[in-house]
Order: sequence, then structure tokens, then C-alpha cells
Amino acid sequence: VHYTAPLDRTFFALSDPTRRRILELLGHGPATISELAEPFGLTLNGVKKHVAVLEDAELVTTEKVGRARECRLGPAELAEAAQWIAQYRRAWEGRLDRFANHVEQRRRR
Amino acid sequence: VTHDLEFTRLIDATPEEVFDAFTDPQGQEAFYGQDDPGWIVESHCDLRVGGVWTVDFGPSRHELYRHRHVFQVIDRPRRLVLASTETRLDGSSFHTTLEFRFEAQDGKTLMTMARGFPTVELRDEHTRGLPNAFDRLERIVGRQRPSD
Repeated sequence: VHYTAPLDRTFFALSDPTRRRILELLGHGPATISELAEPFGLTLNGVKKHVAVLEDAELVTTEKVGRARECRLGPAELAEAAQWIAQYRRAWEGRLDRFANHVEQRRRR
Repeated sequence: VTHDLEFTRLIDATPEEVFDAFTDPQGQEAFYGQDDPGWIVESHCDLRVGGVWTVDFGPSRHELYRHRHVFQVIDRPRRLVLASTETRLDGSSFHTTLEFRFEAQDGKTLMTMARGFPTVELRDEHTRGLPNAFDRLERIVGRQRPSD
């Protein structure tokens, strides 16, 4: 697996509810900055800032189309983050299982 | 503190026994160990507030992950809070807060591991009761996959 954006950046990007809602909206298809601004009642500049953070984490890509800037999901990055999350959960679950067994076995001795 | 991931285990032992096992070398080795032959766990723990617990673990000398924890709260036998940095094989790292709680329950101990983000944004979000970032991310990915 090739990690292009540090996970810290990815999770920082995902830590904001507005940015997560932007990702959800983009999950339905590409949208321009002004189309994204409307449902949130945000200014264009406000949305641009959020999109810039998402773009920095490579969760979103943008492209100038005519006079508008179109945003779309960076699907590889989301899949990578989701894969990492699944591995992370499994690792911690496994640690707790092994530790619980260790404590209980030690107690029985 | 905001926690976005929580795992629990009910362990047949007292909170003191579980806490002490978790902070001794054998328990830490069990925590990070695996049954795979040759699996390496090297744990060095300075159990005091501000003290550092480092763990290198992995399948071989050439593939070692590193967790570096700094003890922020030590409240035996109830609670441990660690500021953690997890470094992966590619050198990238991930900063987080880990809280371990040990609560007596019906003669056993409910051990909880909670992971939190040290960002103000997430703390504020938590107070508004919004779902956590990971679950929402997984839903987004799930929704996205059919059109891949």
C-alpha cells in the first residue's frame, strides 16, 4: 500500500463535521464550491477553506471547470483510510483479547 | 475528553490485578504479543506521570512498529491516560490519546480502552452529540464503493 497523505492529516481533515458532510455530499457526485456552500449556509470562502483542508489530505480533488471550481472525492484515499481503520480496530481488539487471557491464566496459576 | 473508539473486555480478576498486570513487563508483552513464531515485543516502561513507555513490536527485526506512550494520568487501579504516538513501518506516525479504565463489575473487571483525538474541534463536536468520525467515514466509503 502506498500512503500518499500522512494519516494525521487525514484524520485532522475528518475531525470537522462540516468537512465530513462535504465528503458525504461529494459521495453523491461532484459539486462546485457554491453548490457545497448552499446547504451549509456558509460563505464561499468558508467552504474553500474546508475544501483546501480536504484537498491537502487528498480526500478531495478540485478542478477548474469554466468559471467554477468542481470538487470530487479522492476515492483511493478514503479507501486507504478505511482500510487502516479496520486494521487498527482489529489490532486493538486482539491486544485486549490477549491481555485478558494473560491476566486470567495468571490468576488461575 | 472525546473518545471516538472504545473497546471493552470483562476480565475475571480484580481491578488491582488487571491494572498491575497492564503495567508490568509480562502483561505488556502479552498485550503487544502475537502467537506468530519470531514475533518481537520490546517494552520499556517508566511508570510515572511524565514517564515514557515505548514498545517496539512486529514480526521481525526489519519490520518493527513503535508505540511511544507518555503517562499523563496514573490512578491505580482505576485509570491510565497516555499521550501516544504510533509509528508504522513506512515511518509515518499517528498521534492520539489513549485512556484505559478498570472498573469493578460483579467480582470482575470491566477494562475499557478508549482512543481520543487531541483536537479542540473533535471535543467541541462531541458536545454536540454528532456521530464519530470513523463510523461516518466508513459509511461514506460504503456508499461510494458500488460506483467504483
